[in-house]
Amino acid sequence: MAMANRRCLQALTRRATSLFSSTSAVRRLETPPPLSAPSPPKSLFEARRVSPGLEPSRCPPWPPRARLFCSSKTSEDEEEEDEDGEGGEFMEESDCETGKSSTRSKWDYTPEEREAEAAAIGYTVLGPLERSERVFKLYEPFFAVVQIGSHQFKVSNGDCIFTERLKFCDINDKLILNKVLLLGSQSQTIVGRPTVPDAAVHAVVEEHALDAKVIIFKKKRRKNYRRTKGHRQELTKLRITDIQGIEKPEKTDNEKPVKSAVKKLEKVAVAA
Amino acid sequence: MNKAKVLKLAKGFRGRAKNCIRIARERVEKALQYSYRDRRNKKRDMRSLWIQRINAGTRIHSVNYGNFMHGLMKENIQLNRKVLSELSMHEPHSFKALVDISRNAFPGNKNVVHAPRKVALPLSV
Repeated sequence: MAMANRRCLQALTRRATSLFSSTSAVRRLETPPPLSAPSPPKSLFEARRVSPGLEPSRCPPWPPRARLFCSSKTSEDEEEEDEDGEGGEFMEESDCETGKSSTRSKWDYTPEEREAEAAAIGYTVLGPLERSERVFKLYEPFFAVVQIGSHQFKVSNGDCIFTERLKFCDINDKLILNKVLLLGSQSQTIVGRPTVPDAAVHAVVEEHALDAKVIIFKKKRRKNYRRTKGHRQELTKLRITDIQGIEKPEKTDNEKPVKSAVKKLEKVAVAA
Repeated sequence: MNKAKVLKLAKGFRGRAKNCIRIARERVEKALQYSYRDRRNKKRDMRSLWIQRINAGTRIHSVNYGNFMHGLMKENIQLNRKVLSELSMHEPHSFKALVDISRNAFPGNKNVVHAPRKVALPLSV
C-alpha cells in the first residue's frame, strides 16, 4: 500500500510539473515538494484545482485515482498525455454516470426531476422535521387507503408502514402522500375514482433500513449446478401522522351546547 | 464455516437432519429450493386468499365476487384486493358502501347466490 502511494505521488509530481509548464496562469508552486508521504498531496491538489481547463470532479480528491494516472503515463508525448489523461478521465466519469439510469444517485437529478419522479410515485417531500414541531398525535378513528408506487396501504394515525426505498427523502423528513384512494371515518366513507382530490396523508420518514436477508439458492440436480446468492431489499419506514380530507368532529368537553348552537345557526340561515 | 452455517439453517428439522452434516446439507438445500419457489407462490396464494375473503364479504350483501369487481372496474375504483379484503374484515360499513356503489354500477345477473340461511324446520308429528 505504501509503494502504491509512492508510485501515485511520483506520477502526480510528474503530471504537476507538466501542467505547470504548460499553463501560464499558475505560478505558485515552483517545484513540487519532495516525496514525504503526508505533506505533498494537499498542496498538489490545490494547485491542480486552480489550473484552468479542468472541471471540478465529483469524486473526492484524495486518494487519487491511481489507475487513470498510470494509464495516461504510458502514452507518448507529454502534451498528448495531458489531453488523453483529462479526456480519458472525463470519459470514464461520464461512462460511469450514464451507464444505468437505475443507479443514478439522488444528486444526479435536478430538483424539478426529483419532484416529478416523487410525484409520479405518489409522495411529495415537504422538508425536514423541526425539533420543536409536535406532529405525532394520539390515535384518531379515521383511516385512509393510500398508494405509494404500486403498493396500497390502509393507514390510520400513528401507524408505521414499510415501503420500497424512497429516493429523495432523508430520515426525519415530512412527506405528503397525495394518492389517496379511500377515506373512512365512523360516520362517513369517501370513495375516490380513482383518487380523492384534495386529500392528503402526512407522514414522517422514520428510517431507511434493509430487509432481512433472503438466500437465493438455485440447484439443478445431477448436473453439478448450484448457485447461492444473498439479497437484502432496501426499505423505508414511514410513520403516519395526520389524515386530511375527511370531516373530523371537534373534540370539546361540552358537546351538547355546541350542537344546539350549530342548529340555531342553521335555522337562521334557512330563514334568511 | 460452511458446516456451521448449514447446521444453523437446519434448526427444527426432523431426526438426524438437524444434527448430522451429511443429511442436513441435503435437507437444507431442498429447503432453500422450496423457499425460492415459494416466494413466488406466496404472491399467488395471498391473492387467492384475498379473493376468498372479498367473496365472503360481498355475499353477505348478496353480491358475488365477479359482479362486485366488475362494478368497481366500471366506476374506476382502483382499490386492490389486499385492501378490499382488509376492509371487508375490519371496516364493514365502508365495505357495504363499496358494495352498494358496485351494485348501482352493475346490477348483475338475476341468479345471485344467497348465503344459505338456516331455517328452523317444523317438526312433523
